[in-house]
Amino acid sequence: MIRVIIGGLLIFGGLCVLGIATVGIFRFSHMLNRIHIAAKCDTMGALLVISGLMVLSGWTVFSLKLGLVIVFLWLCNPAASHLVARAEVKTNPEIEQICDYVDLTEGEKPNDRD
Amino acid sequence: MNEELRNIWTQFFNWVMGNGPRPENEVIPPEPPPALPFTQKPEDKYSRFHEATLKERYNQWLELHGLHIFSSLYSGLSVLTCIVIVCLLLATVAELPPFGHERNPANNEVIRRYVQYGWHETGAQNIVAGLILDYRAFDTFGESSVLFTAACSVLMILSATRSNKPDKKSPLMRHHVFRKDDAILQGIASLSIPVILMMGCVVVINGHLSPGGGFSGGAILSTALILAANAYGFERVHEFFSERTFIVSSSTALMIYALSKGYSFFTGANHLHSIIPKGTVGDILSAGLILPLDICVGLIVAGTLYGFYALFSEGEM
Repeated sequence: MIRVIIGGLLIFGGLCVLGIATVGIFRFSHMLNRIHIAAKCDTMGALLVISGLMVLSGWTVFSLKLGLVIVFLWLCNPAASHLVARAEVKTNPEIEQICDYVDLTEGEKPNDRD
Repeated sequence: MNEELRNIWTQFFNWVMGNGPRPENEVIPPEPPPALPFTQKPEDKYSRFHEATLKERYNQWLELHGLHIFSSLYSGLSVLTCIVIVCLLLATVAELPPFGHERNPANNEVIRRYVQYGWHETGAQNIVAGLILDYRAFDTFGESSVLFTAACSVLMILSATRSNKPDKKSPLMRHHVFRKDDAILQGIASLSIPVILMMGCVVVINGHLSPGGGFSGGAILSTALILAANAYGFERVHEFFSERTFIVSSSTALMIYALSKGYSFFTGANHLHSIIPKGTVGDILSAGLILPLDICVGLIVAGTLYGFYALFSEGEM
């Protein structure tokens, strides 16, 4: 019984985080804001939902597989968001009007599209 | 006479230089009428006396209304065609037997045979693998050949533009400068590429025991190759998977597939003794030819998918 309550609370929290992410994607106007909210909230919400499922299923092989899914998501989701944001910074010519753009590396200007 | 000539010459010279009186007989060209806008037609001065022929009037009418009538006719006809096709398809769907019913024509003796004797005849625990790689292996052979042919034709088209100008990049190549300084992607790739490769090999090798097989396993293997190419650059992938490797591995796999499957079909159809053992159901080394055929299909699919990616993003493999 206590397991069902804990698991339900975790899943509910994860769903709340994912709902906030959905609202944020529509509320924010620029692509970098959107990818910020989407990446962070997706990572957190997936962690909460899947850990809730792990609590519900107990000490089984299924929980181990769910843990592997969490590891995979936490590896891939930030990396994918990083790549998308990098592509946006590289290809958007008006990036300096949207945000404070600091050119850390030589030759990585936003207009340098070759 | 000489005086007159000089006079004319000085007059002409002054006229050319623009600082003298104009000669009296100079003809100043009249101003051309301002150009009419595109849609407005020039007024015909003699239209009252000029009876347009039927062809001219048809052409005029076509210029004025042709595009409008054509576009409205086109949209009307396309809507009509769509409605007809939708009605035909819906009528066909209404005639179909109910889904999952026991007496459907799909549930015939073929399915019964596959389910009842599939284990004994193919030795594969996964009935789908036994189906597509034993009973219907020539079909799968055709699919692999189609993939290989598509990759070869893309290779030919994209390298035909490249070979003309050996020093220049082809116009199809995307002129992006690849920067190998993405530490985040490289770290993630170094963690996940071995896992993905292992997963792909497991899916390929266990094709006759569990869901999966050559096509899905080959797709997983190709994602590992694509990730490596993105993280470390195409040159690193070239070291172990170049165009030559792709051609050799794919054609060897297709050849092995054709020969082994041809042998098994020949011996089966002519009631000859086949030396291919079935093995015990459930082992890795079982199910006769399904395991090598799976590996062949996996090689072809992995090479083709990676090849498409490399060709379209770099222009070469």
